[in-house]
Amino acid sequence: MEARAIYELLAEKIGDGALGFTEGTGDPVADVAPASIVDACTFLRDDERCDFDMMMCLSGIDWDGYDENGKGKSVSILGYTDLGEPETTERASDGDFGVAYDLYSHRLKHKFTLRVRVTREVASVPTVSGVWETANWHEREAWDLLGIRFAGHPDLRRMLLDESWVGHPLRKDYQMPSEWDAVRLSGRDYAKNPFPPIAPPETPTPPAGDKPAEG
Amino acid sequence: MDALIALIQNAPGAANMSAQALHNTAAALMATLMFTVMALCAIVFTWMERKVAGFLQNRYGPMRTGRWHGWAQAVADMLKILGKEDIIPAEADKGLFVFAPILVLLGSLLAWAAIPWAPGFVAADLDLGLFYIFAVSSLVIIGILMAGWSSNNKWALYGAARGAAQMVSYEIPLALATIPVIMYTGSLNTQDIVIAQQGGLANWYIFRDPFLFVAFWMYFIASIAETNRGPFDMPETESELVAGYHTEYSGMRFAFFFLSEYANLFLVSLIAVMVFLGGWWAPLPLLDVIPPALTFIIKGVMMVFFNMWVRWTLPRVRVDQLMHLCWKVMIPIALICVLGSGIIQMVRG
Amino acid sequence: MATEDVKATGWADQDHVPEIKSELLELNMGPQHPATHGVLRLLLETDGEIVYKVTPVMGYLHRCAEKIAEGVNYKQWVVYTDRFDYLAPMCCNHAYVTALEKLMGQEVPERGEHLRVVAAELSRIASHLVSLATFGLDMGAFTPLLYMFREREEILNLLERIAGGRMLYNYMVPGGVRYDVPDDKWIKDVLSFVDMMETKKVPEYNTLLSYNKIFIERTANVCVISPEDAFTFGCTGPVLRGSGVSFDCRRDDPYGAYPKFDFEIPVGQGQMGAVGDCWDRYFVRMLEIEQSCRLIRQALETLPDGPYQAIELKKPVKAPMGAVYSRTESAKGELGHYLIGDGGQTAFRNKVRSPSFCNLQVVTKVGVGQMVSDLVALVGSLDIVLGEIDR
Repeated sequence: MEARAIYELLAEKIGDGALGFTEGTGDPVADVAPASIVDACTFLRDDERCDFDMMMCLSGIDWDGYDENGKGKSVSILGYTDLGEPETTERASDGDFGVAYDLYSHRLKHKFTLRVRVTREVASVPTVSGVWETANWHEREAWDLLGIRFAGHPDLRRMLLDESWVGHPLRKDYQMPSEWDAVRLSGRDYAKNPFPPIAPPETPTPPAGDKPAEG
Repeated sequence: MDALIALIQNAPGAANMSAQALHNTAAALMATLMFTVMALCAIVFTWMERKVAGFLQNRYGPMRTGRWHGWAQAVADMLKILGKEDIIPAEADKGLFVFAPILVLLGSLLAWAAIPWAPGFVAADLDLGLFYIFAVSSLVIIGILMAGWSSNNKWALYGAARGAAQMVSYEIPLALATIPVIMYTGSLNTQDIVIAQQGGLANWYIFRDPFLFVAFWMYFIASIAETNRGPFDMPETESELVAGYHTEYSGMRFAFFFLSEYANLFLVSLIAVMVFLGGWWAPLPLLDVIPPALTFIIKGVMMVFFNMWVRWTLPRVRVDQLMHLCWKVMIPIALICVLGSGIIQMVRG
Repeated sequence: MATEDVKATGWADQDHVPEIKSELLELNMGPQHPATHGVLRLLLETDGEIVYKVTPVMGYLHRCAEKIAEGVNYKQWVVYTDRFDYLAPMCCNHAYVTALEKLMGQEVPERGEHLRVVAAELSRIASHLVSLATFGLDMGAFTPLLYMFREREEILNLLERIAGGRMLYNYMVPGGVRYDVPDDKWIKDVLSFVDMMETKKVPEYNTLLSYNKIFIERTANVCVISPEDAFTFGCTGPVLRGSGVSFDCRRDDPYGAYPKFDFEIPVGQGQMGAVGDCWDRYFVRMLEIEQSCRLIRQALETLPDGPYQAIELKKPVKAPMGAVYSRTESAKGELGHYLIGDGGQTAFRNKVRSPSFCNLQVVTKVGVGQMVSDLVALVGSLDIVLGEIDR
């Protein structure tokens, strides 16, 4: 079935929860309100016409800095100056978080993409791990790397990083800690470096005429 | 022993020795010889295992050390292992941890005493020889259990529990398979068993009757399990239990387990030769020129090779399948062998 | 039986032995364990040999590759995709460039597509060989490992001649492949290798391992994954096909040159036991080797002339704003990239949906109630690569 037709079925089911359907560059995507994502997913899984028995992928997204109207900006991962100080970006963290759900039906062989958007302050989406088991780990990963909480998740622990890690690295405003577990992370500690960086060339001596010559 | 005593008597300066002194000297000589042979066989079989595995797997195995086909590799390994740090885990039960490898080695070493190498050439010519061998080799189980328990390591404990269950179980078919032979011989004395097989291939116990042929294979399978080698290497199962009961062992203590494994391997192979394959008798009259001890050892080494061949070909069975095989398949078959062979003996008179 | 049930009905709680307490043994399998295929850690709760709870713990190989993707440009990130599934790097390259080209709307020359198929399928055979070999090793069969690595070596030699590397190739670039075929002899060598593989080697492996009685005893009817479980846990690739579901991205969601070729999708038949047991998953891989050979032969015999790159190598690529989810069939299963472009040279977000990650989750259900030895068989038959799980 075409994505638009699926969206119409879905909109019929969840009413106001369906926020819109976009087709353009990339995959067609249906925007859904966070509150109705579980209903939407359950419907898509159970309805005979949709029958999405598998969730291919769940991706958390930090939309901070993504400009819908113009050229987007990306943040460099090398956010450190030569002196080892973290480089702060001047952008206010007002971007939303998003979660994209890519679904597939093995029987009907069609795909569908759902997307929810929550504000940075809320950063919480209802879990769909009750709908597809695989969402369990994908959501844990999204929590780990992006700090999106999934309300009602049975076991929302960090997945790839250590429990003691501070922060969520895939956030656009993330600053890597300079030290973790007694390991220095922020690159170079010049005080201890046996090979200090080559000092910038000294200012050339001004011509003799500018200053009174000595003696 | 008798042969050895006779040999010492004939030596210059030994003519005036008392019978007791003669006996003691012979025993000391024999014990030294046994231990040397055992240490040697560990070294030779380590090398042989690697070469056999190599040739079965499309590769060469060790080739460098000692120039000719890496013959000195095992020697070098032994020297290396001697120089290794002896680690006892902090939480281990130290007494048991230290004693376990010694007990394992002791178990296999003691059993060697009753092996008849050549006519009259046996360290302990016991009337209950075969029974004695099976009895003392059970010591190994206690050693393995001690090693696993004292290591304070869950994997080692698993290995030890599996090993104990396996070895206790497989002693039964192992011993049952030899009972028809004992019935034929009418004696448990190891020399008597060999002497009864004199007169070429047809007189070997394996070919005496069809039930004995089956019994031999029962013995062979059980002996692989008894030595904890693949496909029945449950106590080690390196892909499941890391290294099983000797996970925490290193250096010389590990070498003791290693030594005992190969000593046991050679031991069960020699028992197979002794009980079923004619002991020191050559298969053909033509080959009688070979000294009996050499014939015996050659046959033993061939059995060892066969054992290695099996190990490097087959996957490993699961622990419950192993127990199933023992209790539900092999013990009934071994019992049938005892019964069938007994009937044949009765009919033949 | 769940953990609570064991505790509730265990004899420790009965009145006549009040002083003896029994509890489940917590066993730490990994991260350094021979059977976990890398730095995976499984926390087991066991009662003797029976496992009552499996908790995978991962992240020991985490490099935060997705963050790196936001820092380097599109072409530079191809290098990192090699490091995901380091046993089948060509398939990972292919997955990424396919996603990128889908976002860019980039066409790839025919010759480039054919060479990609050849490289990816050779890589798939190599990966399956490692998988089958290590699965045999988990079952205690050491010898097949050496036999299979012998053929893998041949593949690495062939790929070295076309891509320059033996393990990490960085061979595919957006819009084509990096190098053309070195010479005609390479094509001949690949074809003769493929012939040898089909006629001699696969039957040899089957004799040595697949139809071995002990091997069948160990793997048949062990850890059966039902199709429903496979769907809900997102299992793909040989794991899903082993459960009897005929699904393959190469056919059902075609990409590259695959629609042009004729090949079959082997599925688990339950020949030795139930459909979806470890033996089926193992044997599906064996059959897939043959299908990959067919694909390679077709791709090379119909190799068209012409360019193999659409974009000049040194030219940076830009992707428009938009988000795509593109998936390909890697050796381990469905390898997907959720790629958001922002109009620049760098991805705004690149989420990697790795097959091992999703396949592994099934152990939390199927591994329960199995023996420790069977759990080893299950993990081996899932064929996980930790580089891909931890990313």
